[in-house]
Amino acid sequence: MARSRKKTVHTEFHTVKRIDNSRLVRHAEPARMQGFYRTAGWGAVLAVFLMFYVYQHFRCIDLSFQLEDLKGRQTKMSALNSELRLEIEGLRDPRRIDVIARRQLGLTEPLPTQVQEYDAPAGAEVAAVRYVRANRAQ
Amino acid sequence: MRQNRVHVRLLMVAGVALLWTTAVFGRLSYLQLIKHGEYLARAQRQQQRTIEITPKRGIIYDRNMRALAMSVPVKSAFAVPAEIADESLAARLLSGVLGVPQDVLEARMASSRSFVWVSRKLPPEKVEAIEALNLKGIYFQDENQRFYPKRDLAAHILGFVDPDEKGLAGIEYQLDGQIRSKSEKIVVMADARQRWFDGGEAQRERGANVVLTLDEKIQYIAQRELLAAIEKTHAIAGSVIVMNPNGGEILAMANWPRFNPNAASEAPAESRMNRAVAALYEPGSTFKLITLAAAFDQEITRPGEVFDCENGAIYIAGHRIRDHKPFGLLNVADILAQSSDVGAIKIAVRLGAPRFYEYIRAFGFGAPTGVDLPGESKGLLHRLDNWSAISIGSVSMGQEIGVTPIQLITAVSAIANGGLLMKPHVVQAIKRGDRIVQSEGPLATSEPRRVIRPETAATLRRLMEGVVLGGTGKLARLDGWTAAGKTGSAQKIDPSTGRYSPTQLIASFTGFAPISNPAVTILVSLDSPVGLHEGGQVAAPVFKRIAEQVLSYLDVPRDVPLNPRLIQAAYKRQITSEGTTLEDFSPTDFSGQPDEPPTASNPVASDRPVPHAPEVTMSADEGGDISVPDFSGKTMREVTEMCLHLGLEPLLVGSNLATQQVPEAGAKVRRGAKVTVQFGTPSPAKPAKAARLRAKSRH
Repeated sequence: MARSRKKTVHTEFHTVKRIDNSRLVRHAEPARMQGFYRTAGWGAVLAVFLMFYVYQHFRCIDLSFQLEDLKGRQTKMSALNSELRLEIEGLRDPRRIDVIARRQLGLTEPLPTQVQEYDAPAGAEVAAVRYVRANRAQ
Repeated sequence: MRQNRVHVRLLMVAGVALLWTTAVFGRLSYLQLIKHGEYLARAQRQQQRTIEITPKRGIIYDRNMRALAMSVPVKSAFAVPAEIADESLAARLLSGVLGVPQDVLEARMASSRSFVWVSRKLPPEKVEAIEALNLKGIYFQDENQRFYPKRDLAAHILGFVDPDEKGLAGIEYQLDGQIRSKSEKIVVMADARQRWFDGGEAQRERGANVVLTLDEKIQYIAQRELLAAIEKTHAIAGSVIVMNPNGGEILAMANWPRFNPNAASEAPAESRMNRAVAALYEPGSTFKLITLAAAFDQEITRPGEVFDCENGAIYIAGHRIRDHKPFGLLNVADILAQSSDVGAIKIAVRLGAPRFYEYIRAFGFGAPTGVDLPGESKGLLHRLDNWSAISIGSVSMGQEIGVTPIQLITAVSAIANGGLLMKPHVVQAIKRGDRIVQSEGPLATSEPRRVIRPETAATLRRLMEGVVLGGTGKLARLDGWTAAGKTGSAQKIDPSTGRYSPTQLIASFTGFAPISNPAVTILVSLDSPVGLHEGGQVAAPVFKRIAEQVLSYLDVPRDVPLNPRLIQAAYKRQITSEGTTLEDFSPTDFSGQPDEPPTASNPVASDRPVPHAPEVTMSADEGGDISVPDFSGKTMREVTEMCLHLGLEPLLVGSNLATQQVPEAGAKVRRGAKVTVQFGTPSPAKPAKAARLRAKSRH
């Protein structure tokens, strides 16, 4: 009880400090803001440009790989084409066809009676004949 | 005091920074300015690869754009010995794949530290096998290899190339500068994993394509018939030229011995020689055409004029020249038809050496024809000043003068076309893409030159027809077309005696057909035939065989009625024995030696028609398990398809519908047995029978 009686009483004061800063008005600085935006704009452009540059650089390398790959495939296809053409010409060898015709199919040279000749249309003449006539006219 | 100490410290830091910056910039300057080249080169060595684009030769086509020579990409293996850790092991492994002795490969690798060919122009399977070995220091280089898909067809005209694709003979050599493109190098960048990127663009312009005047089918006919003649006569060499007399285009040029240009290095030099343009020979009686052409053109004689042929011998400047047969009185037409040497000498003597010499030169003898093939000989013609008293006699009958086959056929073509000497040529066009490259130098076309009057040429053509109809060239008579020509049997000089050999001859025949509008001129020359050796006996039948096939192929209208006995003769041409099989014609392997002939033509049968009904040999091979179907009333196609389906080998004779067959329908035969089927017009009874059979089969 005695202890509680000795207790100090503190008084609190609440003071209200009225500050009026309504007179402090931030001055509008359009030129500075313009400069800021311009700088930011240039920076953005530069950043985009740099990013585009980096993108196109790596894209270029990537496309180069693809291009070389396609070139390789084109070369292979071209080589295959050449080989196939060679094979076709080998298959067209007149002697080979002769052997197939005579041995496999049992064909023979046509007899003269098996060849039917048709009359040439009016006015038609063999190219060689025209050539000779022109020469003889000289 | 304290301020001073701070100031000194700042100066020290600034100094160190300055030194560091100076050192960095100094090093950068040193690297950039002084060592720039060295480091750039080092970087390029690491990042760049130089690839050589080997030249690709153009394609050589015939006149119908059939490829006769073409290049195909292949790979060659090379080694960088400096990168190979164990050369002995690498050589042993490669030896197993390539079939090359190990010590040979080791020796190659020891010869250089930077580059050595392991094997060039490898087939794909070997490339794969080497790749599978995954050897360090073994790389591949892309190259091209020249292939001749028709093997020995027109080999002497096409020529061949060396391993570096450089033309060494024929058109390959003559037009090497245009057929072969220039090699070039491109640089590609490689990343750390050695993947290529950023490759440069090579021009990759391949060489020009060449279109020849040759026709591969006519060329094949010429080669086949020449080969048949060589086998029959056992001649040591021979040539055949087929030319269009109206333009000088060479349609075919065949030579024997032949070679396969895909393996040219294995062929002897003699086989690679183009005898048609390089071989000199005395033309013999074929040169009488020039003698008579000069005489008629100078109007010193006429076809009906009669000469005394002195019963087979004449003296010129004290030398006795004998005819091959004693002749009495002969007119000029008969002198040519019977090939009288005495008659030709008398005409030449009347003409006189200077005028005769002028005509010989005018026909192109003694000078190259200018054909666009390498190695052409200009022939041998003594200057008029050097002619002896006997020369006019010798030259008039084709001795003491050396000609090439191309010279002779060019001269005969002038007679065929009305008197104009054409420049022979084998190159029709040189194309780069669709653009035609202008020809220069020997390839340039030239205007034809008139050597005799048209009337003279017409007279000679008529006389040459007489040679074929009733003279020494009767075996050259064509079935269905008129033909004109002249035989030649020139004695060769025996090197051991220096005199004319009585047994060694050059048999030749040169002529053209049809007479009114000649479509082809053909020259056949056989060197030293054994047995029958006269030009009219051995060369004229070859002319006939070739001319009939070529004229038919060219659709030249027939101008004389067919000989009815021809049909019997044609039956005889059935080929029943051949050594060649289809396996010999692998469409992808052309490296072998020339294949054996597929056919051995039988000119004898066609030359000597059988006067009775056709003899059809029918063979039967019975005793198998395949039942022979009934072919009666079926077409050739149906019969062929049925036989092939059953595994039988059909032998078809005649045309129209099947009328007879051996073995009979229902007979049992083995697989692969020959079934001979006769075709013809069915008799009226047979269709009824066939109809009954069909009706029966429906029920």
